[in-house]
Amino acid sequence: MSPAAIEVEQLVKAFGGLRAVAGVSLAVSAGERRVLIGPNGAGKTTLFHCITGTLKPTLGRVSLFGQEVTNFEEYRRTQLGMGRTFQISNVFTELTLLENLALAIIGTDRRKWIMHRQVEGFGAVREEALQGLEAVGLADRAAETAQHISYGERRQLELALALRSNPRVLLLDEPCAGLSPSERQSISKMIAALPRTLTVLMIEHDMDVALGLADRVTVLHRGDVIMEGTPDEVQADPKVREVYFGHA
Amino acid sequence: MHIPACGHAELLDTSTAGIGRIRVIERNQIVVAVVALAVALALPHYAGPFWMGLVTQMFIFGLLALSVDLLLGHTGLFSLCHASFFAVAAYTTAILQVRYGVSTAIAAPAGVIAGTLLALVFGIAVRTRGVYFILITIALGFIVWGVAYRWSSFTGGDNGVTNVPFPSVGSFAITSHLQYYYFVLAVVVFCAIGYRVLVNSPFGLGLRGIKASETRMRSLGYRTGLHLYVAFVLSGALASLAGVLYVYYNRFVNPVTGSFQISVEAALMAIVGGTGTIVGPFIGSGIVLGLRNWVSSFFELHAAVMGAVFIATVLWAPGGLVGLARRFRARTSGIGKGNE
Repeated sequence: MSPAAIEVEQLVKAFGGLRAVAGVSLAVSAGERRVLIGPNGAGKTTLFHCITGTLKPTLGRVSLFGQEVTNFEEYRRTQLGMGRTFQISNVFTELTLLENLALAIIGTDRRKWIMHRQVEGFGAVREEALQGLEAVGLADRAAETAQHISYGERRQLELALALRSNPRVLLLDEPCAGLSPSERQSISKMIAALPRTLTVLMIEHDMDVALGLADRVTVLHRGDVIMEGTPDEVQADPKVREVYFGHA
Repeated sequence: MHIPACGHAELLDTSTAGIGRIRVIERNQIVVAVVALAVALALPHYAGPFWMGLVTQMFIFGLLALSVDLLLGHTGLFSLCHASFFAVAAYTTAILQVRYGVSTAIAAPAGVIAGTLLALVFGIAVRTRGVYFILITIALGFIVWGVAYRWSSFTGGDNGVTNVPFPSVGSFAITSHLQYYYFVLAVVVFCAIGYRVLVNSPFGLGLRGIKASETRMRSLGYRTGLHLYVAFVLSGALASLAGVLYVYYNRFVNPVTGSFQISVEAALMAIVGGTGTIVGPFIGSGIVLGLRNWVSSFFELHAAVMGAVFIATVLWAPGGLVGLARRFRARTSGIGKGNE
């Protein structure tokens, strides 16, 4: 069997005395759509940051496709095929949409070090950038600076950025946070349409979105995994209902 | 079509869409540059020695301000140690040329190299951000000033190094301030073109990306610390080049050249003129030097006037004079087009 796309072993992240993540193990196989759910403070985002490399875990290991990356900085994980989005929209607001995409495209290769040629001379980058915008429905706004597009469009741009660094693993931190119901639907459609060669790990609060997209769901509570299974199994589990859905 | 809050009506013209920035504005920049170059070439026919000296200095300090702005305007790092590279380059060239009789062909490049080597060391400052970066660069700058001031057996202490000759390489010799003016102008034009290519390159775009969001850049595969370090060293090299030009103009160098005040003034020039532009630092340099010359002729506390200019710029023209001009043009052209 090929190694898991993302494997987390006995991961602990402590902030002083608080163990935000208290010994989590999980394995996401290649091509899977996994959704992380859990009430506020469950440690979802902390776990996520340990996988992306934003935070260094206190204990435990993180591997991508069988390679241990626990001590890799974020840029190296990206070069290994990791793409991510942020919970709070994080795009280059001062740059045009095309420039945003261009940065994502050249970020994983040597072209980012070229100093003697103008960006505009890279026709292939421009083409690829336009394709990337097209894929999220923003092609007609290519020349706008990102500060002039709506919040929903920024979420789309965010997704386009993560996808253009050619990831094999995509980590999405609440891609639908703060969106209107119709925007939510269009983002979930985009995520559902992603090719199966891509592995997706996603944090999502919206149950309809989460359960609609997931192959499997992992439920976190107080830094621990309390349940893992298919959406149906998770919904039927009494323990999950108790901590998450609030039923007695 | 909505009008963005900050102006730039041209921005919305998608027909000029490039990966680069706003093409229309860039075209205007070229027009400005050509006009400025024509004026600069013709200037010696109209201006006397005093003004020629001032304009030569404006170019040299403009280059220093431009080097500061590679960090300030394109990466967001506020360096207050650029006088160090400027001074180390000036001292190296002066000492080699005056004390050891080394020719310009070696002394001038050696100055640039010495300043750049220092930038390779001081580049560790990019491990910090924000106010810590400012504090570290101030501290590093004071080291150089202290060495220049105290190590008098080597640097000449307070008196510095005097009697630096005009540069000459083989049969190419500069013999007058007028010739030197044209030489400086040529170097400035060459540097401005190179700078423009650099900031519009993929590397330059990367720097603007880091300024906008460093966390996002990391997640896209950029080793942002290394990017900033390279920018810091390039910036230090440019400041060193300005230092060599300065020492051949000024004919002497002393610790003031490497002082905190020069670092501050260089940043002030970039801010007053307009950060993130090429003409801005030169305009700022002209304003700061002109004001200092003019005000100090009748008012002892000219530094206070500088402070007031700085405060006024930050409060009312955060984009500097270039930003002010752009805003003005965007407003008038917006009215002209009947608000689109």
